[in-house]
This record gives sequence, structure tokens and C-alpha cells, in this order.
Amino acid sequence: MIMLSVHNLFQNKIRLSISIGGVALALSLILSLNAIFAGVEEKITAYINNSGADIFIAQSGVENMHMASSSLPAIVEDEVKTISGVEFVTAINYVPNMVVVGDERNLAYIIGLPPDSKLGGPWKIFKGASQPKAGEAIIDRYVAEKSGVGIGDEVEIFGRQFVVAGLSEETASLVNSFAFISRSDFSTVRGGANTINFLLVKARPEENPERLAETIEAQLGNVTARTTAAFSMLEKKVVKDMSTDVINLMNLIGFLIGLAVMALTVYTATLSRRSEYGVLKALGARNSYLYTTVIAQALISVVIGVAVGTIFTWLVSKIILGLGLNLTMNITAISLAKVGSLALLIGCFSAVLPIRQISKLDPATVFRGR
Amino acid sequence: MLLAYRNLSQDKTRLAISVIGIALALMLILLLNGFLTGLNRQVTSYLSNSPGSLVVAQKGIRNMLGATSLLPQGVVADSLAIEGVEKVVPILSQFVILDLHDKKQPAYLIGYDPDSGGGPWQLAAGREPQTDSEIVFDEVLAKRHNLQTTDIFKLMGESYTIVGLSKGTSSWMTSFIFVRKTAIEKLLRIPQTASFLLVVPNNGANLEELSARLDAITGINAVTKTEMAANDISLFSKVFSVPLRLMVAISFLIGTMVVGLVIYTATVERQKEYGVLKAIGASNGTLYRVVIFQALIAALVGSVAGVSFALGLAKLIMVIRPQFLIVLNLSDVAWTLVTGIIMALAAGFFPARVVARLAPATVFRK
Repeated sequence: MIMLSVHNLFQNKIRLSISIGGVALALSLILSLNAIFAGVEEKITAYINNSGADIFIAQSGVENMHMASSSLPAIVEDEVKTISGVEFVTAINYVPNMVVVGDERNLAYIIGLPPDSKLGGPWKIFKGASQPKAGEAIIDRYVAEKSGVGIGDEVEIFGRQFVVAGLSEETASLVNSFAFISRSDFSTVRGGANTINFLLVKARPEENPERLAETIEAQLGNVTARTTAAFSMLEKKVVKDMSTDVINLMNLIGFLIGLAVMALTVYTATLSRRSEYGVLKALGARNSYLYTTVIAQALISVVIGVAVGTIFTWLVSKIILGLGLNLTMNITAISLAKVGSLALLIGCFSAVLPIRQISKLDPATVFRGR
Repeated sequence: MLLAYRNLSQDKTRLAISVIGIALALMLILLLNGFLTGLNRQVTSYLSNSPGSLVVAQKGIRNMLGATSLLPQGVVADSLAIEGVEKVVPILSQFVILDLHDKKQPAYLIGYDPDSGGGPWQLAAGREPQTDSEIVFDEVLAKRHNLQTTDIFKLMGESYTIVGLSKGTSSWMTSFIFVRKTAIEKLLRIPQTASFLLVVPNNGANLEELSARLDAITGINAVTKTEMAANDISLFSKVFSVPLRLMVAISFLIGTMVVGLVIYTATVERQKEYGVLKAIGASNGTLYRVVIFQALIAALVGSVAGVSFALGLAKLIMVIRPQFLIVLNLSDVAWTLVTGIIMALAAGFFPARVVARLAPATVFRK
């Protein structure tokens, strides 16, 4: 039966290629969008995950960095240092702004770092310094290359000139990047020397970060303390909550398109072999045998479609990376499972019409020469 | 033409499935474009409806929604002293993440002085905030989360009473919410500051000249609202353009393949008849036209169905999820129809080759 399905399917290779291509593309619509959002989630948490901190402390009620604002009195830093279980603390300033070079304007999250900060600085340096001194900035390598600047050149941040002292890597996304300046410069240009935005805490090795975060919240009162893992999850949740509706809609449209293409393929393949199915019926083949053949035909097509769609999406992700677009596409196991399930549904549903055709088929057709 | 139509409509089920396939692919293209147009309109709604023609921002900042602007002290007085300035409206704004029923929702918080303006331009219910513990919420966002006036809402550790619901301030990305400027100064611990100044020029003032005069003030730059809106749109386009183009390209390929599959099958099935036509003297050109006509008919019906699907689905989405604005322009519809025709021409390639290779003798051998 499987052999019959395979023969039937592969008999016309052009039709098979077009239909598998259609299904693969429809599935890659779903896969691409899922991969894009998974990539955004990864990029959005890169700073948090690479900060080196065990705990993030923010203003009470603030659980995010991106598109969020947190403001803490500078005195909180000293208060946190006195809490048992805290190894060391780094206070950072943070605000979205621009790295400007001539007419080239790059949206960037500007991080103000204290001298010799142990946490929250650039985690991978391509060239130059890893700690910004007064008047210096560490900017992303991609932004620097795009803007045509290098070490020793000047860039404008907060409307003030900074000398590029270092180039960081893995700090840029499609929309923005991270740039690091000293906290003293940050306070000078932004004001509010007595205000910090986030506190990054390293716990003592023997301390449980979750318990320490609870202790910090309980002792300080008006702050939010989350472990880095929890803070990262909450950051991902923003992307997830924002994208759920869009992804669901796209999944539905992708599913319907895939279904239409597959239904068309299986329908035309069955139709063109109608007389052969008639012969099988005349020879005594049961309807159930023929139904299974049609379903197997549909399932073989979608399995190949899933494989081609996955390879296509993977290739697209590599091409996009190669074009330097800074758009990361992550094909996750979850989205593959989702696409696989949708493909199975497509395969089963698309067999409905051909099955109806076969059930109506009169075995005598073959003898009538129709 | 008639032959093409008969050939195509011979199997109505196949034609119906293929039209649905093409229609879905084109509907997707149209919806994605409409979604982006709607998003652009939503992100610039504040700039379109707030007072003034120029916006003063911190030096180096030329958009509203991307970077955080903080103006130097004294800029309000300095700007008012500039010739050609009639009124200056300071606002303090910041993106915030709201926690609404376990969902994270970004919103753009605007602090304004109700006496000067810069707040909600249309209220669906309630009033503007009179104290620092009052807030005006976007109507759609409030409805989605069962919030109404007099409800207490917690933001960054502070409690606010919802006193008004604003209209036209909703967006999938950036719903606007409003508090008094003094309230946000306390919340962000930045007293006596402003993010932007909305500048109302005197009647007849030349915007370019006025902008240049304002630029002379240290630490700021003036941008026309039109330019700032364009910069915001360009920022959001940057986010969405690559994924959007990718989706559109895939949809186009799918549509082309569906048309191709249908016409190819229809041609192969009628191979014998094409052979007869060739044998009685029909030129390849005539047969190509028959094939291409079939592709055009399928694509055209699919395109019209696609536009109808898109119009219907856009309406449905906006009713179920009112935070989405899908704007279907006439030009997008026209482009979709053109895309359908391009699909048909591309899809006619394989079937045309089948016809071209056909030996007229085939018919007599069978």
C-alpha cells in the first residue's frame, strides 16, 4: 500500500515538486515567524543573561528592562551591600538613546557603568577597552562598521561627543544595540547623580539566589528583586505576550494555505489515477485499502514538505545573517513540533475530498474505458 | 479565451481549491501590508493629534518613540523667548510595561499639564487627571482588561485611579496612557524636567527658520512633527520590514506554485486535445495564449477572492482584537491584483513548455 502511494505520488515529478514546494513554503511561513520571535526573545535577553549578575534589582513594580523605566535612589546600593549573602553589587544607569555618527543614527540602550564594574559591562570585546573611562564609549562592532567609525573616532551620545574606546560583539539586534559609557558621564549629561536605574547583585557562592532575592525585597521594601533567570523569563514574556495574537493568526493562515495546496495536490493526483483506482476496486480492493493509500500519499507529501520547509527556513535564516541584517531566526524544537502537528492535520484533512471521489467510484468505470 | 475558460472550469472542485489557495496567499500579502500601514498610523497618533507643529527634543534625538529624551533645565523659558514661538507645551514621556492580568503590555506613558495641553485628544468616558494619583487609560486597553473609571491601577509601585478613558490612543505596540506631568516626575524621580516641548508657532511663522532659531539653544534640537512622525515610522519599519518582506515573498511563491500546479495539471490532462489542435494547424503561440489565459483567469478570480477575504478578515480581526488597526489602501489592492497577474505569468511557464514540446503526432499514436 505504501509502495502504491509512493508510485502514485512520484509518477509525475513536476506536480510532486510543485505541491511539496507549496506545502513547504506554507509551513515555512509558520516556521519563519516563530523563528523570528524566538530570535527576538534571545536577543532581548542577551544583556541580562550575559551580565554576570545573579540578581537584578529594580524600582518596585518594575520587572523588565526593555521598553521599561526603573529609578532607584543611589542609597539603595549601600543598603544592598549590607545584606548577608551579597558578594558584590554594581549599580548601572540605563536609558534608550542614540549613537550618532554624522547622518547615521543608531538606536541604542546606553548603559552607565561605574569604574571597574564587575557586572553589566560588555561581555565580548572585539577590539579595545572593556571598561569605559570618562569621555569614552564602547559601542557595538556592527554599529561602528555600519557608521564607518573605529577605535579613537568620535560618536555622539546624549548630544555629546564620546571617543570610541572599545568595540563589543553580540550587542546588536535588528533595531538597536548596547553602548557603554561611564556612570559619571551618564550623570553629567542626564542629570540625577543620586539616581540609579538597576542594581546588579552577585551572590556569595554558598547563597541561593532565589532566597537572597526574597531577602532583598523583604529587607528593602520598595524594590523588585528577581534572579537573573526569572528576570530574563519576564523579559521574554513581553515579546511572547505581544506576539501571541500575531503568531496565532499567521499559524492559522499558514495552515489554511498549506491545506489548500495539499488538498489540491492529493485531489489532482487521485483524479488522474481514477481509472487505476477503478481497476483496484474491480479486482476486489476494499474502499478502506484505497482510503489508506490516499491518506498515505498525503502524509508522505507533508512529511517531505516539513523537511523541505525546515531546510528552506534554515537557509533563509543563514542568508539573512549573511546579509548582515542582525535578524536572528531561531528554529526551536517547540515550533518544529507545532509545524509537524499542523502538517499531519493538513495531510489528513486534504485526503477528505479524494476519499469522497474514490468512495463514489464505480468499479465498472474501468471496463467502460472512462 | 473560451477554450481556456472551458479547460479550466471543467473540474470545478479543482478550480475552487486553487482559487482558495491563490486567494489565501494574496490575502496574506494584503493583510500584512494593511497591518503595517495601520501600525504606522497608530504609532504616530500622538504626534498627529497633539498641539504644535514643531517638537523640541534633547540634542541628537529626532524621534519620539525610540529614544528617551530629557531636556536641559530652562529650555521652556529659552524656547518661549524665541521669536515666532506662540506657545510651548512641555511633556514628560516614557515607555512602561504594564502588568495586566498576567500579561505584559507595553504602553507609552505621557505626563502633561492639563492646563497647557498635550494630553488625550478625545475622551470616551470620564475626565482628565486633576491630581497626581489619577490616570487616563486607553479605552481599548481598558476594555480588554475589564478596567473602567474609578478602578485603581498599579504602575511601578504607585497606585492610580482611572478617571478617564481616551479614544484613538490604542495600538498593538504602543497604547498611550496619560498622567499629570508632576506625577511622572515623581514616579521617575526626575523633578522639573521635560522630555519634549510641543511648540506652537505664531501665525505665519516659517517653520524652517523657527526650527533653526530653536536649534541654537544649547543641548536641544527642533524637529517638525512631520519629520518626527516619519522617523518613528522608519524605526518601526526597521523592526517589521525584513520579516514582512520575507512573509510577502513566501506568499508570492506559494500563490505562484498554486497557479502553476493547477494550470500544469489542466494542461497535462488535456495534452491529447492540445495535440489535436497542433495537428490541425494551431501555432504554438495560440496554445501558449490558451495556457496563459487559463493562468490569468485562475489568478484573477483568486485575486478578487483574496481581496474580499482580506477585507472580511481585517474587519473580523479588528472586532475581535481592536488593538490591531489594518488599513487596506486602494493602492495595496491594486498592487495585489498586479501581483496576481505576475503570479499567473510566472506560473504559465511550465505548462507552456509542456505544450511547446508536444508532438502533433501524439494524438494519432494513442
